[in-house]
Amino acid sequence: MTYRNFIQLVAVKVWLNTKAEVRKTYLNYLWWILEPALFVGVFYLVFGMLFDKGGVDFFAFLICGKIPFLWYSRSIMNSSGSIVANRGLIEQIAIPKIFFPIVVVFQDGLKQLVVFTLLILVLLSINVGLDSTLLYLPLVIVSQLAFILASGFIVATIVPIVPDFRYIVATGLHLLLFGSGIFFDYKQYIPHDYQTLFLANPLAYLIECYRDILLYHRAPDFAGLGLIFSISLLLVLLVSLLLDRFGTSYARLVGE
Amino acid sequence: MIDPVIRVRDVGLTYRTRQSFFRHSYHNVLRGVTFDIYPGETLGIVGRNGSGKSTLLKLLAGIFRPDSGVIRSCSSSATLLGLSVGFDLELSGRENIVFSSMLQGCSLAEAETRVLPVLAFSGLGNYADDPMKTYSTGMRLRLGFSIAIHVRPDLLLIDELLGVGDIEFRGRAEEALENLMSNQTVVLVSHSGAQLKKLCDRAIWLDHGTIRMTDRPDVVLDAYESSATKEPKLYRS
Repeated sequence: MTYRNFIQLVAVKVWLNTKAEVRKTYLNYLWWILEPALFVGVFYLVFGMLFDKGGVDFFAFLICGKIPFLWYSRSIMNSSGSIVANRGLIEQIAIPKIFFPIVVVFQDGLKQLVVFTLLILVLLSINVGLDSTLLYLPLVIVSQLAFILASGFIVATIVPIVPDFRYIVATGLHLLLFGSGIFFDYKQYIPHDYQTLFLANPLAYLIECYRDILLYHRAPDFAGLGLIFSISLLLVLLVSLLLDRFGTSYARLVGE
Repeated sequence: MIDPVIRVRDVGLTYRTRQSFFRHSYHNVLRGVTFDIYPGETLGIVGRNGSGKSTLLKLLAGIFRPDSGVIRSCSSSATLLGLSVGFDLELSGRENIVFSSMLQGCSLAEAETRVLPVLAFSGLGNYADDPMKTYSTGMRLRLGFSIAIHVRPDLLLIDELLGVGDIEFRGRAEEALENLMSNQTVVLVSHSGAQLKKLCDRAIWLDHGTIRMTDRPDVVLDAYESSATKEPKLYRS
């Protein structure tokens, strides 16, 4: 399969999967907005109204962390099962195995664009106010996409070899949920000496960048973003090469 | 002497199954298999269930890699003919034709030009835009078969797929297959002796993962059929 055909195949599959998923429901594409809207609504109800702790500010702080986190965790969970879920296809066709996590990541990424649009609308409606720093947002999104691709490739590669790894992935994501400063501001709660260590977690770092842009109207730290992007890209290349070399053994790993 | 499309040399493949944390059981599926496939020929493979026929096809298709020996291929594409490669039942017949053709190596543009001939051959033109979940089992197989015979790889590998659909379609299907085989290199696995005798130029008898005989189809099939009645018991090595 040529590179050009492969890229076309990924694009067509992402598009068709999206269509197929949409057709399964009555409200179709409306769910793309409804699902995140409901989710944000629940958070608003609980943290913006019920608990009066910080009120609207805390709500805005929370969704700026939670929405990028959900994107990450959903994509990683979906990637982890992507090769095993397609065992039927893998047994019938010599296809680069990297195809399966790529499709999953881009399919989730497409939906996430709608979610980010909704996030911006919600922030506007609660008067957080936005300015030209918003133009930096695509940089953070692209860096997160690269980080998701790298992590997604790694888990997708390991799970067929060691199926038990899926449980570790789930636990790891749980740990990240608490370790990425979604519910708290690390500047207040993490001792100063450990803050650098905390920000060494790429997800914590990315969430801080989102908040810089969306809440505090500051430019994110480009050096850090660049580092996350380039290391992720390096990992993506490395895992792609590994899968290209050892990919044929997967047909026998996932078969039977 | 013509150069072979594929040289298979001393190929072996062993399945490893995990029994417990450290214990594995091993099962030799193929051992010391050596043969050539020449351009334009139709090579038949016979053998009992579990003799390694399907595994051999997957090796030729590049889906598996051999544990020992080498497979040297001079062809750019070898495709295992499947009847439902990558079908998504939520999608329409038309969309499935495009994706399935692309999976088997077409570009998007090529896949789109295939849609009309495939629909015409399958006779499912009126249902092209209905989701495939509304198709009957027979209709799905018809569509799968129609896509499959429009794929034109250098080496076509067929694992038991003759005889799809109703009487009208079966007639056309067999004709199309014979047509296909006369101008393409084909490896065909079948349990139907009559079919193999009619379609193949050469046959291989696979027995417990090794080649027991290679000859003209009628010679191989006669030997195979007389032995199969004498050794009725299936066993795994």
